Amino acid sequence: MNMAIISLRNASVSFPIYGAGSASLKKTLAASVTGGRFGKETGVNVVEALSGINLELKSGDRLGLIGHNGAGKSTLLRTLAGVYEPSSGDFVRQGTVASLIDPSLGIEGDATGIENIMLRGLVMGMSKKEVDALTPDICEFSGLGEYVNMPVRTYSTGMMMRLAFSISTSVGADILLMDEWLSVGDAEFTEKAEKRMRDVVSKSGILVLASHSPDLIKKECNRVIHLEHGRIIDAYEIAPNIGESV
Amino acid sequence: MLGPLWITLSMGAMIGGMGPLYSSLFGTELSKFFPHLALGLIFWSLFASMVSEACYSFVGSANYLKQGYFPISLFVWRSMARNVIQFLHHIVLYIPVALWAGISLSWSALFIVPAFFLLLVNAHALGLALGLICTRFRDVSQIVTSVMQMLMFLTPVFWMPESLPSRAKYVLWNPLAQMLELLRLPLMGGTADMHNWIGIISWTAFSLLISTMLFARYRRRVVYWL
Repeated sequence: MNMAIISLRNASVSFPIYGAGSASLKKTLAASVTGGRFGKETGVNVVEALSGINLELKSGDRLGLIGHNGAGKSTLLRTLAGVYEPSSGDFVRQGTVASLIDPSLGIEGDATGIENIMLRGLVMGMSKKEVDALTPDICEFSGLGEYVNMPVRTYSTGMMMRLAFSISTSVGADILLMDEWLSVGDAEFTEKAEKRMRDVVSKSGILVLASHSPDLIKKECNRVIHLEHGRIIDAYEIAPNIGESV
Repeated sequence: MLGPLWITLSMGAMIGGMGPLYSSLFGTELSKFFPHLALGLIFWSLFASMVSEACYSFVGSANYLKQGYFPISLFVWRSMARNVIQFLHHIVLYIPVALWAGISLSWSALFIVPAFFLLLVNAHALGLALGLICTRFRDVSQIVTSVMQMLMFLTPVFWMPESLPSRAKYVLWNPLAQMLELLRLPLMGGTADMHNWIGIISWTAFSLLISTMLFARYRRRVVYWL
């Protein structure tokens, strides 16, 4: 595995919040032509979702993100995934990224399980050949049996999650981004899934995990960042105790 | 049983229904009017769906764009591919019409290739530009829909350009009319006027310029608008 690096320097992400008025071209034009006499609701609020974030991660780092709802954990994860380009500051990233933020992204209800493996694989950036090579493993792991040839909309929620999980975790990456631990399915599958998650996590260079569970963070991470209102209010290292049961 | 040919069937019903009616309304010979109308409708439906889908290329892919890094052109290609596939289902209808009307093609029919290429370049440029604008200003897609409806009547989809009085010839300057001529005439055994080529090439340059500027500036910004 080559070196994975993430570096954020004084990075901020701010969202313009467009109300019904400012998302309208007619009202925006009316307001700018009449000096604001018409089209009054065109003001744009800016919300600073992240501000002044400094973060250096290298291979071997296991970072836990904690904070209340709306503190900026998901925004930070998405920024690291390359979804939001910081509005100011620098962002450097090296290494392949696997984002497990939404494992069911790219799943089409009308396509069969097999077709979805291809779709989701391509969405994750694999080539057709790579997906073809992985398909038997994924089918086997998901334990869906004959159902892989049926449209996904006929699946139960649990089966859908199993499929999504099996595809998403079928490849390792240098950088792994996760929003809460993935756990799916019935008792028997959970055990398998847990083992697979361990594998993927241990193979990755950098792990960034957002979670509300202090136990999970303690178990998986060696560094913690505490976010509040989009700022880092606390950052510390913790002794890793991987392998200990929760 | 018909499967994907249902799309073909509905377009066929429209052409078959409108052809005889409009040719008698306009007093044009059916053998001349039918191929004109068939190609007009087929190409117009391609233009119209490309333009209207361009408005939703990013809004409709919000779940992808918000979860991971994707080059935004991907979503424009997706809608272009869908429209071209639909078009290929429609264009087969022209074969019986052309045979019935006894159209003989010459080598000039090959002009369809550069014409179609120009269409794709424009569709891509417009897809990016409209996609970005419609994501920022959500009411633009309604404006686009009504403009396209108006343009349909200003473009010789149904009527023949020859029947236009000369003082109204400026109507044919609209880029969609020129694009339609470039695509239609080669398939009817004719060649398009030079002014259509010049018009479309300048329009292409213009739309490429605008869309490149918007793309360079806003391609990573678009996620913030979703």
